[in-house]
Amino acid sequence: MMFLRIVARSFNRRRPRIAVAVIAVLMGASMTSGLLTVSTGIEDKLAKEFRRFGSNILVIPRSDTIELGFPGISFGSVSEQRYIDESDLWKIKKIDEWSANVLGFAPMLYQVVQVEHEGNVQRAVLTGTYFDRAFPDLTKAGEIWSTGIKKIASYWNVEGNWIEDDDNGSVLAGVSVAEKLKLKLGDSIYVSYENPETKSTTTEQLSVAGTVSTGGSEDSQLFVPLSVAQRISGRLGKVHSVQVSALCVECPAELIGAEIEKKLPYTQAKTVKQLVRAEEMIMDQLGQMMLLITVVALVASGTTVTTTMMTTVMERRREIGLMKSIGAENSTIASIFLAEAVIVGVTGGFLGYGLGNVLAQHIAESVFSAPITPLLTILPVTVGISLSVAVLASTLPVRRAIRIDPAIVLRGE
Amino acid sequence: MMMGKPKIILKSVTKYYDAYTCALSNIDLTISEGEWVSIIGPSGSGKTTLLNMMSGLDTPTSGTININGTDLTGLGQKMLAKFRRENVGLIFQQHHLIPYLDALENVMTAQYFHGKVDREIAREALERMGLGQRLKHRPAQLSGGEQQRVCIARALINDPEIILADEPTGNLDMKNGEIVMGIIKQLVDEGRTLVIVTHNMDIAKQGRRTIQLVDGKISTDSSRQTHNPLETSVGRKANSPPTSTGSARR
Ligand SMILES: Nc1ncnc2c1ncn2[C@@H]1O[C@H](COP(=O)(O)OP(=O)(O)OP(=O)(O)O)[C@@H](O)[C@H]1O
Ligand SMILES: [Mg+2]
Repeated sequence: MMFLRIVARSFNRRRPRIAVAVIAVLMGASMTSGLLTVSTGIEDKLAKEFRRFGSNILVIPRSDTIELGFPGISFGSVSEQRYIDESDLWKIKKIDEWSANVLGFAPMLYQVVQVEHEGNVQRAVLTGTYFDRAFPDLTKAGEIWSTGIKKIASYWNVEGNWIEDDDNGSVLAGVSVAEKLKLKLGDSIYVSYENPETKSTTTEQLSVAGTVSTGGSEDSQLFVPLSVAQRISGRLGKVHSVQVSALCVECPAELIGAEIEKKLPYTQAKTVKQLVRAEEMIMDQLGQMMLLITVVALVASGTTVTTTMMTTVMERRREIGLMKSIGAENSTIASIFLAEAVIVGVTGGFLGYGLGNVLAQHIAESVFSAPITPLLTILPVTVGISLSVAVLASTLPVRRAIRIDPAIVLRGE
Repeated sequence: MMMGKPKIILKSVTKYYDAYTCALSNIDLTISEGEWVSIIGPSGSGKTTLLNMMSGLDTPTSGTININGTDLTGLGQKMLAKFRRENVGLIFQQHHLIPYLDALENVMTAQYFHGKVDREIAREALERMGLGQRLKHRPAQLSGGEQQRVCIARALINDPEIILADEPTGNLDMKNGEIVMGIIKQLVDEGRTLVIVTHNMDIAKQGRRTIQLVDGKISTDSSRQTHNPLETSVGRKANSPPTSTGSARR
């Protein structure tokens, strides 16, 4: 009891100094918890994305920087626009050996547009695709084969209506876009696209036929038939990529990909497995960078705590000497300072966890344009790390305190 | 002369702070139970150093120190702290109190280090010092004399048998000095052993024995049982305490 009272009273007296230490710990802690939240969140998202991904091959133009832009995750920007010709798409169903295994495909054409609804303006990705498009079946004469996102993406959760591929005036809105713009079924939105070369702006009015939720990046996109997207962006007959769903129990997706590449020599066909590996590498590098930043932040917090505590010890040397002269043992003196460190560490940890979540939210929104759920499991980790940093940072000051000579009291220094 | 058993025994105690500063040189001194010993001497003569040796706050360069049956030679910091808590009450010239604790808490801190906090006993101790109305005041809210009395209450709280005081009235005015000395005198009357460093001859005279230090050596050691220095000197020879050197002089 008396111990707590001594700690509390001395604490109370030196609030500004303690605040400095707490803020230092808070900084490191918020970095720790923020980056932990972001990296676990992103990893989760990626894992989910790939697990429930309907297609297993992505066809993109060769050596295009959009390479990293597997639907859902876009890193980097497209520097050199290359396209696949829509007129070549049928070839995907007419490859050499594995044609029958190609269950379906959906082309994708992306552009960033401005969306306006009742005065609210948002930027969003407008994606043109096939929903359920009928082709003559090239493998079986006389039969009709239909393909599109509806066929290959069973994970799409659509409320309201799907859009027909020849519907010029409808849009399927991702749920987060719909939420931000407060869209209801049947609402009209205005979509504006500024051509980066001609600087001319195209605006179209579209009506919301339905909303789509996938838990992935589709949630923040708008979907229209490919022809509509091509018209708005002036890229007639062009697509950015094609998602292909191949039935692959025995067959290696790589073989199907190779056949597609043979038919469309200006493209490359990546299997999801390859893409996952690429993503994992990026995540690994990102993780290492985050770790580095966190370590640097924690070292900085530790150093600040050490200097602050050191100053405190020097300021309190008379008092420490006095306590020793009236019989306090070194362990008692050490506990007083360690108790301070514990309080500083735990407080900083808790506050840092809060700030870290704000930070994570910010990073997730601005870099990955997806919200992130705070993870409670990160709280004990953050508090634990801050506590260790604070205690570790106090060892030097505590040793200094222990070395103070009690005789200074009588000498009246 | 009725002297109790030896409480403080210093044998050939020498203290060098560094190669050039010999603060105490070969001190032999025995102080018995219940004695009031005043230590006088010019500034820098080693009075505080001597008190530090007796309290275990500092260790001698050579020689042995035995206080209240405990040989301090070779004791570690932990044991020295324990020794201080249990055997000596320290009173300083500057009223060293913990600034953020009130009077009562300052006294209770000493109890805490001793192992057992008892608020009531702490309160009574302060009341005995006439501070019943000042329990909740912090040092900055107390006068110098009051602070010194809190110090004394703290020094006494664990009921030490030996009181070591370094110029306890040095910073006090006459009136407060008298109050404090009144309390200290009472402590000796209760049978405690007192070693007090002072510049004030009136205070020194109140004790039976005065030791004068000059340049780290005992230059005079007078027992005041009698006013005849010669007789004292003879008497001492007869009893031959090995500690006394020099002759009593006024
Ligand atoms: N920590 C120290 N380091 C070095 N020298 C010291 C130290 N403490 C005291 N001294 C020296 O030892 C000698 C004795 O000092 P001490 O404090 O015992 O004197 P004192 O008799 O108490 O003096 P005063 O009456 O001024 O308090 C002095 O020369 C002093 O300068
Ligand atoms: Mg002195």
